[in-house]
Amino acid sequence: MLTLALESSAKAASAAVFEEEKMLAFAIQNAGLTHSRTLLPMAEGLMRQLDLPLSRLDRVAVSRGPGSFTGLRIGMAEAKGLCWALDIPAVGVSTLEAMAWGGPVLDGQMLCCCMDARRGQLYNALFTVEGGRLVRLTPDRAISAAELQSELIARQEPWILLGDGAELCYNTLDRSQVAVFIAPEPLRLQNARGVALAALGQDPVPAGELMPAYLRLSQAERERLARMKTE
Amino acid sequence: MKILAVESSCDETAVAVVEDGRKVLADEIFSQVKLHEIYGGVVPEIAARSHLEVIVPLADRALKTAGLARRDIDAVACTYAPGLIGAVLVGVNFAKSAALALGVPLIPVHHIRGHIAANYLAFPGLEPPFVCLAISGGNTMLVDVRGYTDMRVLGQTRDDAAGECFDKSARVLGLGYPGGKPIDDLSKQGRDDAYDLPRPSVNDGNPFDMSFSGLKTAVVNLAHHAEQTGQPLDKPGLAASLCRAVSEMLVGRTMDAARMLGYPAVAVAGGVAANSRIRADFAAACQAAGRTLYVPPLRLCGDNAAMIGAQGYYEYQAGHTADSSLNAYATMEL
Repeated sequence: MLTLALESSAKAASAAVFEEEKMLAFAIQNAGLTHSRTLLPMAEGLMRQLDLPLSRLDRVAVSRGPGSFTGLRIGMAEAKGLCWALDIPAVGVSTLEAMAWGGPVLDGQMLCCCMDARRGQLYNALFTVEGGRLVRLTPDRAISAAELQSELIARQEPWILLGDGAELCYNTLDRSQVAVFIAPEPLRLQNARGVALAALGQDPVPAGELMPAYLRLSQAERERLARMKTE
Repeated sequence: MKILAVESSCDETAVAVVEDGRKVLADEIFSQVKLHEIYGGVVPEIAARSHLEVIVPLADRALKTAGLARRDIDAVACTYAPGLIGAVLVGVNFAKSAALALGVPLIPVHHIRGHIAANYLAFPGLEPPFVCLAISGGNTMLVDVRGYTDMRVLGQTRDDAAGECFDKSARVLGLGYPGGKPIDDLSKQGRDDAYDLPRPSVNDGNPFDMSFSGLKTAVVNLAHHAEQTGQPLDKPGLAASLCRAVSEMLVGRTMDAARMLGYPAVAVAGGVAANSRIRADFAAACQAAGRTLYVPPLRLCGDNAAMIGAQGYYEYQAGHTADSSLNAYATMEL
């Protein structure tokens, strides 16, 4: 089963090609260029270097969120375009789960995945590893650093912090109460390799049913709801 | 040549199939008007989210309506500029991935060029050269269409678009959003000389450039003044006077341009071309001047993908294709 994985939920964009759980090729762009210009050419280039026509793909995996709204839509729209044209299914995976799969997946390890969600929040999910597989401890959510701190303290483990919110988390948490370590840079950020690994255990859906999980309403909707509450 | 065309520049998601630039085989549209109504205008983030949700079902429906299989598609065209950037990005990234996977050319199309090309779908005999006035909620532009892909902007608005002027006037009159149709409807019950509204002109060079913000402000001030003083506002009269003012600003310049260039054909395009006063005034002016008027039916005036497929055909003929690095742009010269 040949999978193309796309990741564009934050500053970097990356693409990977997997045959089952084996990575055949990987490319990343972390120079601040727009994903709309770089992601698809990377995917096209990987397939060409592998001498594989796109028609050989069995499915496309992509981060469905959380993350940059625009970034997510670029990856999702590309996944939908490819899947629609090739008539193959898609797999949308949690950005935070993909992030965990890109980290130190070692038995017993506790993984705290966090992205800076602004507005005083983190997008976060907690995982551990058993028998070489990720075990999810929480759903994906938007959460304040203070709430996250009490959860981490309650679990009393040493935690590995992953994601672009790792430093923010490290600096905010009271480290006298909970042991936290920032993963080294190459393991810290979500990428297409993690997306492909996270997609392995998941059932694909038709391209039309592939939906993003922003975890947050648009600003206009939030403000409207707030106004309705106060009125 | 059968072109699959995608449009997502504002609040309409559309996918069409057009053959040889002139024949519409499918023209599917999902309008988001209901999603934006409660906000009194298009919310870019909501628009972009909606485009992503409906684009695949629309593409499926377009193929089905056209009675085609994916392998029958010869090229993919898409609006790549101008528009709400988050919205345009969805269509561009879907279209370029589909083109790549289908192994067919990708054709980027300027949204306003698409509006102009709606005339080719409505009028099989129409060919350049002609003068075209493109009027919508986001654009107001007078164009010398010298060839299918050879265009020169004669003049454009320096500030608000004509459609924006209608939308904002409709808001202060309490007519809701979008404002074009309710203003048009209300104007039919009023006298067009009820209010003496300004027809701002731009006096620093180009006689074809326009300005609508002063007209909009005049309407807003009249409405606010009436509210503050408790005087009754003749809303139908104000709507009719507004339609007349906008129409006079547009029709006069367009006819001047046709006379200057010596073109027998005058075309109108874009959502504001649905306004009945503007249509009637153009019909009368063209008849008086002995020129032929082309205004597409209402369905082709608003945003749609068939017009992108039509223009896409001529862009392809001119060699204007793109590769998988195609980006979307909020603004772009015609």
